[in-house]
Amino acid sequence: MTDKFMSPHDVPAIPGTEGWERLYPYHYQFSKDDPDRAAFEESQLWFYDGLHYPEPHYPFDLIWDEAWFLALSQNNTRTFLMPPALGIDHRIVNGHVYITPVGVADPEEVGRRVPTFMKRAGYYYENWDRLYEDWKVKVNGLLGELEAVKFEALPEVEDETLVFENRGIGSGYELLAKYDELINMGLKVWQYHFEFLNLGYAAYVTFINTANTIFPDIPISTLTRMVSGIDVVMYKPDAELVRLARLAIENGLDQLLEDNKSSAAVMTEMANTTAGKYWLDELEKARYPWFHISTGTGWYHHHSSWNDDLDVPFASIVMHIEAIKAGKQVGRPTEKLIEEREALIEEYRSLIGTDADREAFDQVLAVAQRVFPYVEDHLFYVEHWFHSIFWNKVRELSDVLVGAGFFKDREDIWLLKRGEIRDALWDHVTSWATGTIARGPSYWQKEIDWRKGIMEKFQAWSPPPALGTPPDVVTEPFSIVLWGVTTSVLKNWLKGVEAATGTGVEELMGAPGSSGIVEGRARVIKSAKELGSLLEGEILVATTTSPSWAPAFTKIAGAVTDVGGAMCHAAIVCREYGLPTVVGTGRGTTTIKTGDLVRIDGDAGSVTILERA
Amino acid sequence: MSDKEKRILLWYEELAGSDFPLVGKKNANLGEMLKGGIRTSPGFALTLHANELFITETGIKAELGSFLDSLGEATLEACQEASDAAVKLILEAEVPPVIVDETCAAYQRLCELSNTENVPVAVRSSGAVSMPGQMETYLNIRGESDLIEYVKKTWASAYHVEAITYRLNKGWGFLLNIGVGVPKMVNSRVSGVSFTLNPLNGDRSKIAVDVSYGLGEAVVSGLVTPDNYLVDKVTLNPIRSTKGSKETKCVYNSSGSDCTFVDVPAEDRERFSVTAEELKEICRVSKVIDKYYGKPYDIEFAIDADLPFPDSVIILQVRPESVWSKKAGEGKTEQKKDAMDRIVSQLITGVRIK
Repeated sequence: MTDKFMSPHDVPAIPGTEGWERLYPYHYQFSKDDPDRAAFEESQLWFYDGLHYPEPHYPFDLIWDEAWFLALSQNNTRTFLMPPALGIDHRIVNGHVYITPVGVADPEEVGRRVPTFMKRAGYYYENWDRLYEDWKVKVNGLLGELEAVKFEALPEVEDETLVFENRGIGSGYELLAKYDELINMGLKVWQYHFEFLNLGYAAYVTFINTANTIFPDIPISTLTRMVSGIDVVMYKPDAELVRLARLAIENGLDQLLEDNKSSAAVMTEMANTTAGKYWLDELEKARYPWFHISTGTGWYHHHSSWNDDLDVPFASIVMHIEAIKAGKQVGRPTEKLIEEREALIEEYRSLIGTDADREAFDQVLAVAQRVFPYVEDHLFYVEHWFHSIFWNKVRELSDVLVGAGFFKDREDIWLLKRGEIRDALWDHVTSWATGTIARGPSYWQKEIDWRKGIMEKFQAWSPPPALGTPPDVVTEPFSIVLWGVTTSVLKNWLKGVEAATGTGVEELMGAPGSSGIVEGRARVIKSAKELGSLLEGEILVATTTSPSWAPAFTKIAGAVTDVGGAMCHAAIVCREYGLPTVVGTGRGTTTIKTGDLVRIDGDAGSVTILERA
Repeated sequence: MSDKEKRILLWYEELAGSDFPLVGKKNANLGEMLKGGIRTSPGFALTLHANELFITETGIKAELGSFLDSLGEATLEACQEASDAAVKLILEAEVPPVIVDETCAAYQRLCELSNTENVPVAVRSSGAVSMPGQMETYLNIRGESDLIEYVKKTWASAYHVEAITYRLNKGWGFLLNIGVGVPKMVNSRVSGVSFTLNPLNGDRSKIAVDVSYGLGEAVVSGLVTPDNYLVDKVTLNPIRSTKGSKETKCVYNSSGSDCTFVDVPAEDRERFSVTAEELKEICRVSKVIDKYYGKPYDIEFAIDADLPFPDSVIILQVRPESVWSKKAGEGKTEQKKDAMDRIVSQLITGVRIK
């Protein structure tokens, strides 16, 4: 078997994309300019971060990648001094982000980092609940500030209050300043995002490994069930849909919703009746904040939230109504989950041979359970709530530049790097201030058209799952838990590298996500909008899934994802619904076609294509 | 006399361990296992009362009782003479219609359950007191008339010379009524062994299963590489499934008393020998046995081709696991002060997940 992936310096450029590098920051390029940096790049394992990025990056959207690149790395390396782990380095190839965990090479240095880590991380673990409450206050404050940001076209003449209140600051400056504030808020919320996350994963990985010492081969999916929270914020949006579905049935509004009109038409009709008005009031209560949930992962500007497109949650409400009427179980059976979790823990505890082992198990279980609410909930605050509002603020800003003739369409802004937007704003405000013609319209429209062509070519490219040199064993905790990158997964990816040049793969290996074996027809889904095409009993095949896909899980028989470990959303949800799932197959969506008959073994982590469509 | 005590025949599922005075220990134990959720081959027991009815209704009881007295000193020769006479007397007597009718009706029900005409059964002696190996068990008996004939032979086996001398040495009487068990012969499509721990490392949260086609002999004596599974004892989900080569299988020869090896067809070798639900049922029952006895067990099982799932999953024999059970008490985790200490040590040593 091949023991190396393609060198990061040898990835062929896509014809017609020459010059693509200027879409991204210069330091994101693999480069041979500096032999030392090139040797480092060559020696590392770079894996495609498809968990977060199933699609290539628009230049502006890279902001979140830059934000977590800084926040996670700084946290590990400089703040908590995570003993063996430095940051995670990032590169971009043909629009796709590759990342690599960087370790502390010198074992003595690892030891020297321990006391500081003990002191600092210890403080967080001991005060976790209180600090998490503080965290929510900080993030809610930031969300309030974000909501307050408004972008408006520059005035022909400044308002007289500028003079009579002697404010002294002009709209041109304010536009630049507000843009900077917006960007800074985005970067800041990611600082908060990683305030707890790495510590959370460290505790979780410790639990997994202690449990594995006591019970060799215990599946990670079982361990996750022992620590999973019950009252999880990420499940609230779907719970709200279930509540609205039940309310609709109770108030005789179900038929109206099931008629499948647009959400706007349904709402207009609702407003005509008392029951309808009551339901609309309840809808409003649910929308803020729960409908800020993204229909995707929240990482891309085109991942609209439920609030952006009410047709999406309305369609899910209809699915829930149908399920309730058919007598199916909808939503999460909270009490059953609590009971099952407790019974599971008790039974394993009873199988531990010695008191010392039982104490070790109890210690690490307790801390894993303490950190887990954050690990599960932070996603909603940051990737969904904050990002959903943020994208729309950038659109507001884009309208200003559309008005100034810089862009033809408000969606053009995503083709600019965030620094380039600031340059364009300078162009705009100085020409406005001076009363001259900006260069922007002639410069950016041409550039944007060219960049759109590049993006299309990037979309059509299938990024290899990894580049560079795999280590003998993967020891970096975050890559394992979050991305499902383990030694065995890498081996399978390498097999995929061979198979891709052969006659096509008939078996894919990934990580066990949720146990059980099932056969069914595959349905490859690229975005939330396609969920409506799912048929009862099909196997969902996706790059990754989002919590807003929950209603679809009542229909499917199992799921396969390209990326993700036992902790990824698809795995968590499928365990709750008892659906066999294989995550992290690397190439599920490119190898499996809609209509193929597949068998998934959620225990072995294998997917077999039994019959091609 | 309670109703149960007047019965000629009792099904295993009607029995409890405490019923041994009525049906013998072997039969009563099978009933007890069933009560605990441990499934055995279906069947019924003829009671000690049936035996008593046989010797009274036929009028042979008095004669049978008088043999030994008439011989004087209980020498081996005298015992042999008494044995021959008693066996002859029993075999020549006609089983009363009430016993024949009930036995044949029960046998027909067993045939229906197995969806097989003249289903092969075993006919096994079952004493109310332990007399290890003193009496007979007959295998592969088919049809009503043979069944009745072998029931008589089993009754007669209580008067085999070894049994008589054993009784006399213990100071028991000459006359002895015994129970007779009539279980279906297990038609093993597959059979195997399960351990209610991981035999490689003693981990009690696992069940290890070896299973292959045919009778258990092939697996137990290591003549084939069976399919091997490691299953989580708590969730009953398989953790590892390894397909074995399963070249041959052991099947009964026509007499039913011995077995021979035959090749397994290629297509059967290339697939797993049990379905996912069969595996789960094997493990579920194994877990019941582990819980019932409160310790790890080594279990022989079979899946009967004649019976519908899950009745087809049958326990043949159980014994306590002996290797790891002696090593209990060894801890696996390192001594650490607290959770923080564990997290740091975890981070330093890194993660190696297979």
